[in-house]
Amino acid sequence: MSLLRYIGRRILFVVPQLLGIILVSFFLVKLIPGDPAVMMLGPTASQQSLDELRQKMGFTQSLPRQLLHYLHDVVRGDLGTSWQTTQPVTQDLFQRFPATLELISFGLLLAIAIGFPLGVAAARLKQGPVRKFADYYGLLAGAMPDFWLALVLIYIFYTKLNWSPPPLGRIDMAVVSPPTVTGSMVIDSLLAGDWDALSSSFGHLVLPVLTLGLINAGPILKMTQSTMERTLASDFVRYADMCGLPRRVVLRQAIRAALPSVVTIVSVLYGFLIGGAVLVEIVFSWGGAGQYAVQGVLNADINPVLGFVVFSAIVSLVIYLMVDLLYFALDPRTRT
Amino acid sequence: MTTLLDVQNLVKRFPLAGTGKVVQAVNDISFTIGRGETLALVGESGSGKTTVGRCILGLIDATRGEIWFDGVRMGGGHNIRSKALRGRIQLVFQEPAESLDPRIRVGETLAEPLRHLGMSRADRDRRAREIAEHLGLKPRVLEQFPAELSAGLQQRIGIGRAVVTRPELIILDEPTSALDPTARAEIVDLLIRLQHEFGTAYLLITHDLSTVRFVSHRVAVMYLGTIVEEAPAETLFAQPLHPYSLGLLASVLLPDPDLRPANTIRLDGEIPSPIDLPPGCPLSGRCPFAEPRCRAERPPPVMVAPHHAVSCFYHEKVAALGRTTDNFARFQAESTKLLSAGAVFESAPEKEESHHG
Amino acid sequence: MNAAPPVLDVANLWVGYPSYRSETVHALRGINLQVAAGEIVGLVGESGSGKTTLARAVMGLVPEPGAIERGQVLFAGRNLAALDDAARRAVLGRELVMVIPNPRAELNPVLTAGRQISNVVLHHLGVGRREADRIALDMLRAVRIPDPERRFAAYPHELSGGMAQRVVIAIALVCSPRLVISDDATSGLDVTVQSQVLELLQTMVREKGAAALFITRDLAITAHFCTRIAVIYAGEIVEIATTRSFFRRPRHPYSIMLLAAFSHNPALRARWTRSQDAAGDAAVAGCSFAARCVRCRPLCLTEPPSLRAEAADHAVRCHFPVDTAA
Repeated sequence: MSLLRYIGRRILFVVPQLLGIILVSFFLVKLIPGDPAVMMLGPTASQQSLDELRQKMGFTQSLPRQLLHYLHDVVRGDLGTSWQTTQPVTQDLFQRFPATLELISFGLLLAIAIGFPLGVAAARLKQGPVRKFADYYGLLAGAMPDFWLALVLIYIFYTKLNWSPPPLGRIDMAVVSPPTVTGSMVIDSLLAGDWDALSSSFGHLVLPVLTLGLINAGPILKMTQSTMERTLASDFVRYADMCGLPRRVVLRQAIRAALPSVVTIVSVLYGFLIGGAVLVEIVFSWGGAGQYAVQGVLNADINPVLGFVVFSAIVSLVIYLMVDLLYFALDPRTRT
Repeated sequence: MTTLLDVQNLVKRFPLAGTGKVVQAVNDISFTIGRGETLALVGESGSGKTTVGRCILGLIDATRGEIWFDGVRMGGGHNIRSKALRGRIQLVFQEPAESLDPRIRVGETLAEPLRHLGMSRADRDRRAREIAEHLGLKPRVLEQFPAELSAGLQQRIGIGRAVVTRPELIILDEPTSALDPTARAEIVDLLIRLQHEFGTAYLLITHDLSTVRFVSHRVAVMYLGTIVEEAPAETLFAQPLHPYSLGLLASVLLPDPDLRPANTIRLDGEIPSPIDLPPGCPLSGRCPFAEPRCRAERPPPVMVAPHHAVSCFYHEKVAALGRTTDNFARFQAESTKLLSAGAVFESAPEKEESHHG
Repeated sequence: MNAAPPVLDVANLWVGYPSYRSETVHALRGINLQVAAGEIVGLVGESGSGKTTLARAVMGLVPEPGAIERGQVLFAGRNLAALDDAARRAVLGRELVMVIPNPRAELNPVLTAGRQISNVVLHHLGVGRREADRIALDMLRAVRIPDPERRFAAYPHELSGGMAQRVVIAIALVCSPRLVISDDATSGLDVTVQSQVLELLQTMVREKGAAALFITRDLAITAHFCTRIAVIYAGEIVEIATTRSFFRRPRHPYSIMLLAAFSHNPALRARWTRSQDAAGDAAVAGCSFAARCVRCRPLCLTEPPSLRAEAADHAVRCHFPVDTAA
């Protein structure tokens, strides 16, 4: 079928895309000031030992040569070693990426659950309290920094009310983590039937997800509202009204037609949040991938940064492929 | 009359990405336009007439064939924006509202094309004012924005912007299709008048046959990328010889209940898609006269009279149907009688004073 | 004429749009129009004449911020503007239907043609989906779409303009309506397709015994497909007559100006035509057509003419009707 061929072609294209991304980020990372050798050995190290380390890590070679070396390793699935954790970057990322994906997936689900219905309602009702609420919500969500909201939530629900666990990681220190299947702590504990782990990991997830959900509902709300307004004023909705179709049927048709742009904004947000959720990760000591990459940048630890870029690029490409397939399903005009 | 535009064996194909199929938009057509002459390229949507226009402008390259404009070969980088041709070929579009910049005043819109000819500001303004006079625009209109004007007036500006460079050829792409009938008649009169004054040649691309009858010297009828009949306008309207021309003319509605659209010929269905055309006559699927031969072989153009070419094996059969399009002539006779009868008062107040009275 | 009460009865209808610059703009000014079962009335006017506003007002859907200022529209004895939304929806698409121009933009792009017909059947006739689909397919056959089974499953973008128009006609007539309004429905079609579609619409309206209102800017369409003709100018009906009487002896200077647009004789066209742009925007106290009228006299500038019957089947709004028979 042509759909399979299409997917095949898209996956083929991933290779040059990845190559381009690595190329650009490699040189950008190399532009970051800071000498890893100095960072690793400390300010008191002798010039000789610094030189030796640089030699050993290949920093004395020309940049294109270093890039070739790096690419050579990437092809074999080796993203180098982080000198901070002293572990292979792939291993680090396989631990941390699922944490980030769990956080932003649930966060965006919540954001959709808030933003989409509110956007539809606001588009339908040109006046009234719902519309007003949606307007203020959009404004507020756009203006509020996520880490600040996170701190406010912690202050209320942990410090004051003590309803939520301390903002330290994904699960209580005292609870044993479930065996990794999907990488999501909550789903894995559910699969394992481990109720202690489930309640603990769920409790830890609530506040960060609430933070991301409340903030990111803003753009989803705005996008849904403007698309729905356009759709409700469009020729085919007017025609459906003239045909006397019940109001709810017309609304359902309009929502269906507005879905592709909502899918678009959600996918853009997803790609952005892989790195963009880092402040929330830090506030909740989430141990996610963004946090890991920022540590790398601050400490001139290059391999984690590049590894993060490669990982997020792959995840983004997968998401965009899924979005295209969703378009296929939603809009017959894209099928021909 | 010297030849201004010479189109020889023009072919234009568009490959359809990823399918291996080809859209055969234009299939080997040839025609010429003399200086000061109007040729109408008539066809329904999908006939390829717009593609022909774009090839002539040099905006897209022909797949095969040659287009010569006054000794210059168009295409291959030579287009209306090339220095040697700048201002000599102009375009008028269907939707006047969309082709005018809404933020630019009419006066400037009219002078705009002259900037590319390196004219001084003063010269440009003078020329724009001259053209405005030719168009019969009130000076106040020059200070207005397009959105403040009626569609008919907007189209008049569109035409003014085209003639301001004194082009030798204007390509009119459905210039009247978006207009009300009375505005359409005004635009037609303007086009005729401008041609008399400036000697401009027109290529009129349209599906609106009543406009064609007004302004054209010659008519080429297009169907699925080929010219099926070409003749002087009067001949074609009086005695079409191709079944498609006849069907097209027969389906034109005239405002007279006694002149039913002729049922001598019916073209059922619609123009098929121009992808992977069959070998025979393009009309064979819809034509009431079609014989097996029509589906196997493409009929070549035959000169049935001086300046009258038709591509149909059985054009005698069409001729035998008689002068079916007498409807046009009858309507004109009737309407002339009617329009001459009613009296227009000699004492009609002048329009300027009328609404202050 | 007809003894039965009219399907559509528009009585002294005024519709206005508030304007920021000046006072209310009256899109319709005292329209009186009756359409009886079996009639096809042509409403002819140019852009801005108010013909589309009239269509919306008939459906009880005057677009905001417009409002009915005076008079009323009765459809089969009911005032649709006074109904609540759900009750109006039960009438629209069932008893009172609209045939729209440019169907490829107005049909839902993500639903198949068949589904869009059967949706209407489903909601108006209260049958199940399967039965609705069957009726829809029959209807596609009735509008003579080639290869109806395949078109049933086709999306609007896969249909040609003519086929999409046939789908719209199928949607309009599938519930056997009492009144069909066509709003310039064939303006976007090619000539050979246009007459096919109009003939189909005429036949179907007659078969269903419905009444129809053909709104158009093309006088030629009304000559062949309508029983009566009303010419609308600046929100007023300026001439109304049976088709025969109208074309044999048009009386209003504007009607003649519309006819003159078809003439090949520039001198005769010029004789009857005064450009809209020459007219200016200032409203006159008298006849609304005065500024464009080639026969305008002093009385026309001060005294608005009323619609007067010139014959049993012919009325004209003019102080000095043209005598084209002379």
